[in-house]
Amino acid sequence: MASQADYRDRQFLAVIGDEDSVTGLLLAGIGHVTPPPDNQKNFLVVDAKTDTAAIEAAFDRFTSERKDIGIVLINQHVADRIRNRIDTYTQAFPAVLEIPSKDHPYDPEKDSVLRRVRRLFGE
Amino acid sequence: MSGAGDREAVFPTRQSLGVMKAKLKGAETGHSLLKRKSEALTKRFREITRRIDEAKRKMGRVMQIASLSLAEVTYAVGGNIGYQIQESAKSARFRIRARQENVSGVLLPAFEAYLTEGNNDFAMTGLGKGGQQVQRCRETYARAVEALVELASLQTAFVILDEVIKVVNRRVNAIEHVIIPRTENTIKYINSELDELDREEFYRLKKVASKKQRDTAATDAEVKSKKDRLAALEEETGSNGPADLLAAEEDEDVIF
Amino acid sequence: MEGLLFNVNNGYIEGIVRGYRNGLLTGTNYANMTQCETIDDLKLQLGPAYGDFLASLPPNPSTSSLAAKATDKLVSEFRYVRANAVGSLARFMDYVTYGYMIDNVALLITGTLHERDTRELLERCHPLGWFETMPVLCVATNIEELYNSVLIETPLAPYFKGSLSHQDLDELNIEIVRNTLYKNYLEDFYRFVNSHPDMAGTPTAEVMSELLEFEADRRAINITLNSFGTELSKADRKKLYPNFGRLYPEGTLMLSRADDFEGVRLAVEGVADYKAFFDAAGLGGGPAGPGNLAGGAGPEGRSLEDMFYQKEMEIAKSAFTRQFTYAIVYAWVKLREQEIRNITWIAECIAQKQKERINNYISVF
Repeated sequence: MASQADYRDRQFLAVIGDEDSVTGLLLAGIGHVTPPPDNQKNFLVVDAKTDTAAIEAAFDRFTSERKDIGIVLINQHVADRIRNRIDTYTQAFPAVLEIPSKDHPYDPEKDSVLRRVRRLFGE
Repeated sequence: MSGAGDREAVFPTRQSLGVMKAKLKGAETGHSLLKRKSEALTKRFREITRRIDEAKRKMGRVMQIASLSLAEVTYAVGGNIGYQIQESAKSARFRIRARQENVSGVLLPAFEAYLTEGNNDFAMTGLGKGGQQVQRCRETYARAVEALVELASLQTAFVILDEVIKVVNRRVNAIEHVIIPRTENTIKYINSELDELDREEFYRLKKVASKKQRDTAATDAEVKSKKDRLAALEEETGSNGPADLLAAEEDEDVIF
Repeated sequence: MEGLLFNVNNGYIEGIVRGYRNGLLTGTNYANMTQCETIDDLKLQLGPAYGDFLASLPPNPSTSSLAAKATDKLVSEFRYVRANAVGSLARFMDYVTYGYMIDNVALLITGTLHERDTRELLERCHPLGWFETMPVLCVATNIEELYNSVLIETPLAPYFKGSLSHQDLDELNIEIVRNTLYKNYLEDFYRFVNSHPDMAGTPTAEVMSELLEFEADRRAINITLNSFGTELSKADRKKLYPNFGRLYPEGTLMLSRADDFEGVRLAVEGVADYKAFFDAAGLGGGPAGPGNLAGGAGPEGRSLEDMFYQKEMEIAKSAFTRQFTYAIVYAWVKLREQEIRNITWIAECIAQKQKERINNYISVF
């Protein structure tokens, strides 16, 4: 598998989510800004005003462009906005994980991986 | 019949029969090995799936606790610290390391969380107010992220295993339903061709034999008539024995 | 004597503020709120007090929008009072807003330092800390410009002068900047209430001194506790302590030398109130103790900050027992702030379905 070659460089987490989720995860210490001149952040705050295109761009950046991200955390309600992208994403690296947010409780029915689990067990 | 047409393009020789037999044997061994591998992987897969299901549910709870602790920070600081946190994030303290685990020859990655030393972007946050809550919140979130990392490993394993199992099963099925029947067909074909050849050969031999017999019979008849004539002549002269013996020998030869 | 002329200018304001104080939620209200199952229920409970402001919220609003609406009410009331205030009371109320301004300025400095578009930061600013020249702050693109041409124009300029240079803004952690400003602000406010002819020697000076002294002490203690394990040196830490308060000067000196929780406890030994807090908090394990490392305060143990808040509310409440004083405005703002925090907390607990700690709010009425 081609992606196994580069898994060793993947040492960061990335997050796409609402302000509270991002703040909390940054407090945990996952925030990383690459040195200038790129100044690339590994997090994106999404609110009602954020374009879906911007979310998609960030998602693509974290999943395909950057090679140092091992896990992408994304709020479930944000994932819903780019559901198609998430569902068609099948790479193992980086792992995409849907997390609940404060205002949107977790709904296992929507999770793309859990749905695959369901399907496999024929439920 | 599908089996009739589906065979490998080989010349029906004894040598290729040997090759095919070896191939069949190999395919059967491979099939049983792969089957066992697939079973081992599936077992692992089911276990992982179950754990994912559990972990995903647990995650909901963990994240809830974490966001409550963030609410506590908001309460104590008396304002939103989000922006400041986002701006002061520089270098990740919480990182992950990918490790590999070998399950029946499949390398499954597992993430492992670790904290880097001596970089603390938010130590001063809430210095005047709420600092203790901020620190507590960091710990709560760090624990939540650990749970998330664990879940991510499971999920990656899930995706990879899913893929690998599919490939292995495809191979098992290919061997079981394509390669083995086809090899068997080929063997059958070679065998039937060889039998055919055998029969042809036998028939040919028989033909040859019967022709020979006919020829011999003709010769015999000729010889006999000659002999008869000779005997008739000898009858007249008298000697009989040796001539009889010779004739008998000649007869046996023909039958043989 | 001071009562003779107080009502000429300020009687109306005092009446209004006392009216507002009576509108604060009481223990019964809170008890009802904690019984709510959903945010909508909570909204209903808040109806009498916040009706107009919550009306525009969608069903089951997020806790942050709830808090924002509650703050809106405080802001509009404050603005009304401020518009009716004259003379020294008007100045007094401006002083009250400076605290929020410091937070806003700190936010803008952070934004400028990271070269963000500061315009979008304006909406994140606390509306009470809004000042006219604030949008101008966004014009500055680098920190030197911000310092030399813009900050000078703000009411906070005196707090920058003499203690922070523009290099400091660049180099020091924003938290240190914020706390330096806050220290200067508290000292200035303290000086103001004790030296202004309208206030010196009146109940205002008396009550405000108590409130500000408490605030100063709380900050000093918090800064000390929170600085353990950070790169903040003791000398720098000492500079952040306000130069007044019940701990000043001996307690502050000892605080500046403290290395751990125990050291802080010794430093505050002289003040009975704080000593009691520390004794109570000490049982549950101090900030450095094992109790807190387990994450989340136990349900029984109130954190030190909770006790400080409680104390502050009590002082604020008792401010209303005095007449002819501006301090009730300050006390009312603080009480209302606490109320917003309580509402947010309760709403949060309901939203997260974590009812076991819902009673951590602070109610003094």
